[in-house]
Amino acid sequence: MALPPKSAACWQKLAVGGLKLIKTQNLGAQMLAQRLELSKLSPTQKADEIYGFFTKWERGLTNEINQLASL
Amino acid sequence: MKSISLPASEGNRINALMGLEDAAALIRAGAPLAIAGREAALDRLPAGNWIAGTTPYFMTADGGRRIDANCVFVTDLSGLGDVRVATYGEDELGQITEDAPENGFALAIIPFQSACHERFAKEASSYPQAFLKPTVGWIAGFDLDEAGASASVYDGRTSKAYANQAVVLHVTLPAEACPMVEIVNLFEADGVDTIRFEEAGFNPARAVVNGEQVDFAEYVNQRGLSDGSLPLVGDYAGARINSSIQKVAAGHVELYAPVFAGIDYAFARPVPAFADTFRARLDETPHDGALWSCNCILNYVFGGLEGQAIGGCAGPVTFGEIAYQLINQTLVQVRAI
Repeated sequence: MALPPKSAACWQKLAVGGLKLIKTQNLGAQMLAQRLELSKLSPTQKADEIYGFFTKWERGLTNEINQLASL
Repeated sequence: MKSISLPASEGNRINALMGLEDAAALIRAGAPLAIAGREAALDRLPAGNWIAGTTPYFMTADGGRRIDANCVFVTDLSGLGDVRVATYGEDELGQITEDAPENGFALAIIPFQSACHERFAKEASSYPQAFLKPTVGWIAGFDLDEAGASASVYDGRTSKAYANQAVVLHVTLPAEACPMVEIVNLFEADGVDTIRFEEAGFNPARAVVNGEQVDFAEYVNQRGLSDGSLPLVGDYAGARINSSIQKVAAGHVELYAPVFAGIDYAFARPVPAFADTFRARLDETPHDGALWSCNCILNYVFGGLEGQAIGGCAGPVTFGEIAYQLINQTLVQVRAI
């Protein structure tokens, strides 16, 4: 599955708790999920950060990207 | 002194204990190096493109060992890409991720119980781009049998030692490679209590245990866990991140890494046959492309790793490990894949 565009709804879903539902062994993704859960950033800001993370590490996040469609 | 060759990763990259003359020769040849050893050894190295931190403890292919001042542990980061040395004061630590290469990682060494150590521990996960430009590294320590000893780090450009700076190698990887930061943590929550803290810190006075406020030192003593052999295990969205007990004295708990509000913690259950369990875990952990690794002094001491070969990538035994943020009682490795 290709990485969804920044306008896709999945990024907002990830920003409001969906990231912790993704099954992952990626340490950076796990720590980012925890940090964002405790963060006071707006959902849009969180979505931007999550999109940036997935874009940067796309090659190593194949399993995680495949889960985005089922959010 | 005869060099002790230790295979660590593909490509025969040097990641080994070696005599001071061999290390000095590598430095004079211009190799970018991450070095660890005793202060008396590091003080004798010539200036060059290196950073270092103090510890006499190492995990090697032959087992855990404590070295003297005639050798140092050298990780050669040649042949990857640009490798730059930088030094940061306690008010500049957020700049580490800003300065790190777009494709690569920052390898940081920070002295134990310094202001830099405390600031980094509390703030690292909130630094800009913390998860886009990974930081790995370790907390420098000292020989536990030397009363009054302290930790130092070194900026190799001047060979100068610091008691309160973070020294960093900014390591650029080739465009086709990607840094992968991984941990091996043998500890799991014991399932007895869920522990929460209301603020971040190394010295929590109070905790909320299963919803009830308690004096944390009393709780730790009542559980019989004040010896520090079993860490607090925090649940970071599935990642198990440890904060270890340094001591409980005069009604206060001191931790090796801070706890944070909003995280569910539990004490760890004991790990049977520690060295065998570690060996089995490392056997199933990928090491292809391994560039650097470290393991924790508490695993070394409480796990009886001196003289025990457990496999994996060789490296320093440390007073705290860095994988994006400060963690404890954990092996950290970074690979280029």
